Amino acid sequence: MNAAIIFGLLLTLMLTGMPISISLGLTVLTFLFTMTHVPIEAVALKLFTGIEKFEIMAIPFFILAGNFLTHGGVARRMINFATAMVGHWHGGLGLAGVVACALFAAVSGSSPATVVAIGSILLPAMVKQGFPNRFGAGVITTSGALGILIPPSIVMVMYSVSTNTSVGQLFMAGVVPGLMLATLLGVTTWYRAWKFGYPRMPKATFGERLKALKESIWGLLLIVIVIGGIYSGIFTPTEAAAMSAVYAFIIAVFVYKDMTLKQVPQVLLSSANMSAMLLYIITNAVLFSFLMTSENIPQSMAAWIQGHNLAPWVFLLVVNVLLLMAGNFMEPSSIVLIMAPILFPVAVSLGIDPVHFGILIVVNMEVGMCHPPVGLNLYVASGITKMGITELTVAVAPWLLTMLGFLMLVTYIPAISLWLPTALGMR
Amino acid sequence: ADPIVIKFSHVVAIDTPKGKAADKFKELAERYTNNAVKVEVYPNSQLYKDKEELEALQLGAVQMLAPSLAKFGPLGVKEFEAFDIPYILPDKTVLRKVTNGPVGRKLLDKLESKGIKGLAYWDNGFKIMSANKPLVKVADFQGLKMRIQSSKVLDAQMRALGALPQVMAFSEVYQALQTGVVDGTENPPSNMFTQKMHEVQKHATVSNHGYLGYAVIVNKAFWDGLPGEVRTNLEKAMAESTAYANMIAEEENVKALEGIKASGKTQIHVQTAEEAAEWKKALQPVREEMAGRVGKDLIEAFEAEAK
Amino acid sequence: MKFLDHLEEWLIATLMAAATLVIFAAVMHRYASGVSFLFPITRHIHMAWAQELCIYMFVWMAKFGAAYGVRTGIHVGVDVLINRLSPSNRSKFILFGLCAGALFTGIVGTLGAEFVWKIGHTDQVSADMEIPMWWVYMAIPCGSYLMCFRFLQVAVNFIRTGSLPTHDHAHVAGMEEEEGQDINWFQMQDGLHPKDVAHNEGAGTKGSGNQNGEKH
Ligand code: NA
Ligand code: NA
Repeated sequence: MNAAIIFGLLLTLMLTGMPISISLGLTVLTFLFTMTHVPIEAVALKLFTGIEKFEIMAIPFFILAGNFLTHGGVARRMINFATAMVGHWHGGLGLAGVVACALFAAVSGSSPATVVAIGSILLPAMVKQGFPNRFGAGVITTSGALGILIPPSIVMVMYSVSTNTSVGQLFMAGVVPGLMLATLLGVTTWYRAWKFGYPRMPKATFGERLKALKESIWGLLLIVIVIGGIYSGIFTPTEAAAMSAVYAFIIAVFVYKDMTLKQVPQVLLSSANMSAMLLYIITNAVLFSFLMTSENIPQSMAAWIQGHNLAPWVFLLVVNVLLLMAGNFMEPSSIVLIMAPILFPVAVSLGIDPVHFGILIVVNMEVGMCHPPVGLNLYVASGITKMGITELTVAVAPWLLTMLGFLMLVTYIPAISLWLPTALGMR
Repeated sequence: ADPIVIKFSHVVAIDTPKGKAADKFKELAERYTNNAVKVEVYPNSQLYKDKEELEALQLGAVQMLAPSLAKFGPLGVKEFEAFDIPYILPDKTVLRKVTNGPVGRKLLDKLESKGIKGLAYWDNGFKIMSANKPLVKVADFQGLKMRIQSSKVLDAQMRALGALPQVMAFSEVYQALQTGVVDGTENPPSNMFTQKMHEVQKHATVSNHGYLGYAVIVNKAFWDGLPGEVRTNLEKAMAESTAYANMIAEEENVKALEGIKASGKTQIHVQTAEEAAEWKKALQPVREEMAGRVGKDLIEAFEAEAK
Repeated sequence: MKFLDHLEEWLIATLMAAATLVIFAAVMHRYASGVSFLFPITRHIHMAWAQELCIYMFVWMAKFGAAYGVRTGIHVGVDVLINRLSPSNRSKFILFGLCAGALFTGIVGTLGAEFVWKIGHTDQVSADMEIPMWWVYMAIPCGSYLMCFRFLQVAVNFIRTGSLPTHDHAHVAGMEEEEGQDINWFQMQDGLHPKDVAHNEGAGTKGSGNQNGEKH
C-alpha cells in the first residue's frame, strides 16, 4: 500500500514536468510529514551524506575531462586515425565513425558527449562526401551510446553508488560488451553501405596511418591512463577520473593548443553546471531509496518474488521491458538511480550477478538514449544534422535493432560481461 | 499494542561476527520481551553508511548501532582512540579487564552527553600485519605504503614504524593490495580471510599489536524512555549477545588464521617476544604523541590494567 | 544581483578546479613516496585529508551548482506530457513546477539550518581534517536557500516574459561552423525540459520548437 502511494505520488509529480530531483524530494517530504516515524532531520543529514562518497566524485571529474576533450581537438585526431585505419572499407567514413566513437568512448564517460565530439566533426564531412544525412546520423547516434558501456562510464558509477557494486569491476565488465557492440554496429554499417553502394575512401598508406597514429597518440594514451590505470591499480576509479581531467587539460591547452587558457574557466563552469545537476538528482534519489529501504519495500518485493518462484529469465525479461519503458520518458541517470536500488535486491535474491545486472542496465540505457520521445543522443544528433526527430528515428532503426538483439545476448549470456573481470582476477 | 521497534543498523555483511551477533540480539530481545520489542536489523549500510550512522542515531532516526570504536573521535569523544594505541592491550585478559571494568564503563558514560547510551563492547579481534615481504623487524616497514582506516593514532603508528599510512575504504583494500596501490595493511585475521586479502599478501605477522572492537550503542532518550521491565530484558539479551559475539569473533579469528595457513598463499610468522619488544620500543613515542589527544590519565589507566 | 551571479559562478568553477588539483597532488604524493630517494621528503607531507577535502569541496560545488543550474535551466524533468498542452495550460504547469521547486528547496533550507544549529552545539568534527562539522553542513542551508531564491526569480521572470532560462537554439544550430563546441546537451530541446511560452506558441506545430522538438 505504502509502495503504491509513494510511486503514485512520484509519477504524478514527475508528469507535471518539474525537475525529477524536485519530484523525488517532494515525494519523500510528503511521505515523511504524513506517514512515517523517520525523523525529518534525517532528511537534512541524507541531503549532505547522500553524495559524501569518494566514488561519486568520479562523476564531476569525468565530466570535466570530457569537456576538455571535446574542446581540445582530441576527437578530430581520433577520427583521422580511425579513417586511416578503416576508411577504405565499405561504409568508409561511417565505419570510421563507429571506430572513432568507440575510441572516444574509452576516454569519455558520457554518451551525448561522444555524439557531440565525433558527430559534430564527422557528420558534415560525411555529407560532403555524398553519404545521405540519415545514414551518418544513424551511425553516430547509436555508436555514441558506446560512451556509457565502454569504460569510463558515468552511468556505471551511478549504478555502483546505488548498489554498492565495485566500480572497477563494472568498468572492466564493460570492455568486452563494448567492443562486441562496436563490432556489431560496425557490421551493420558495413552491410548497409555495401548494399547501397556508399562511397569509400582511398586506402591510406602505411606512412599516413603512422602519421595519424602519431597525431592522435596523446588522446589514445588517455585510454591507457584510465583503463590501464584502474586495472593495474595505479589509480582508484575516482583518482583515474581526476588524473584524466588534468591530463585532458594539459593536452588540450599545451600539447594540441586547440584551447586557450582563457577558455578554461568557461569549461570549468559548464562542467560544474552539469555535474551539479547530476549530483542533485543523486542526492534526492539517495533520499528516495533510503525512504524505500526504511519502509522495507525492496526487501518485501524480493521476498514476494522469491515466494512465487519466479524464474530468473522471466525476471530479467521484465526488467528489460520496464527499463525500456522508462527510457521513453526519462534520462539514464535518473532511471538508474530510481530503479536500481529497487530491482537490485530482487536480482541478488534470484542469484543474478550484481556486475552482470549492472551491464544489462547500462545496455538498456544505451537503447533508451537512441529512441524517442526522450533520447539524449537523438536530440544531440538532431541538433547537429538539423533533422527532425521522426526522420531521425527512422534513420536510426537498423542500428537500434542491432542494439536490441545485443541486449538479449547480454541479458542471457552473463559470460559476456563477467568473463574479463573474472579472467583478470578481480572477482 | 504495537511492538516497540528498534532499528539496528550496521555496515557489515550478515555472515560476519558482528552481523551474526546483531541477529542473535534480535532473536533474544524479541524472545525475552515476549515480542513487545521488534528488532529490525539493517545490514550492509542499507540504511545508513559508516559516516552518517552516528548522527542518525543522535537524531533518533535509528535506535541501535555497533560502530567501530574509532568512530567516536569525530563525535568529540577522542578518548576512545586509546583503543587504537599499539600494544596498549597486550592480551585478552587485559582487554576484558578494560571492557568489563570501570575504565570501559567510564568511557561509555562519556557518550551520554552526546545523547548516546553505550551498552556493551563487541570484539572484532587483535590485528595482524601483512605485506608482500616479511615484517619481522621494524626496519622492514621502511617506505611501505600501509592501508589504515582513518585514525590519527593509526597514522602515527605507521609513521613510527617508518611506513607511509594510506587512508582507504575497507571495500577498496583487496584491489588496492592486488594492484600495489598499497603494499600492506593490518587486520584481525577474520577480516583478512573473508576479504580474501591473503590471496594478495605474501606475508603476515601475528603481532597482536592492536585491537579492533565495536561498541553497541543506543539513542539515550529512546533507551531511557523504555518501560523498566523491557529495558531489563533487553539488557539481559545484550549481555548474552555480547558473550556470543565475542565467542564467535574469537572462533572466526582462529578459523581464519588456519584458513590462511591452509591456503598456502600467505606465510604466517608468529612474532617472538624479542621481536615484539623491538616493535614496542619503536611504537612507544606514539603513546606520548597521543597523550594530548586521548588523555594521559586514560593511557595510564589502561596501563594500570595491564600490570 | 550581478555580483551574486558572478560570485556563484566563481565559487563553483573554483571548487571544481581546486578539487581536481587536490586529488592530483595526493596521487602524485603517493607515487613520489614509492621512489626511495624521495621518501624521506614525502613522508613528512601528510595527504590523508585530500579525499575528505575533495568530497567536501564537491558537495559545496553540488549545492551551489544546483542553484546555478536553476538559473541556467539545466535540471531535467519529464516533459512528454506537458509539452503537448496548449501554451496557457502549459504555463500553469510550468509555474506549478517552479513553485514546487521553491517550496522544496525552502523546506530543505530550513531543515538544513535547524540541523546545522543542532550540530553546531556538539563538538563534532570531520574525521581527517577535524574541522567542525557544522561549517561543512552549512552547504545545505546556504545552497538550498539560494536555490529557492533562484526558483522564485525564474518564476517571476516567467510570469513577466513567458520565457524560461533554457538552451538557445541558435547556439546548437551553429554547431558545424566550429568543431568541438561546448554544447551542453542537457540544455537542448530534448523532451526533458518544458518548452516555454515566449518561444513555443503552439503545441509543436509552429515556432522554433519544431527545429529540435518532437513532431507528433
Ligand atoms: Na566511456
Ligand atoms: Na528513449
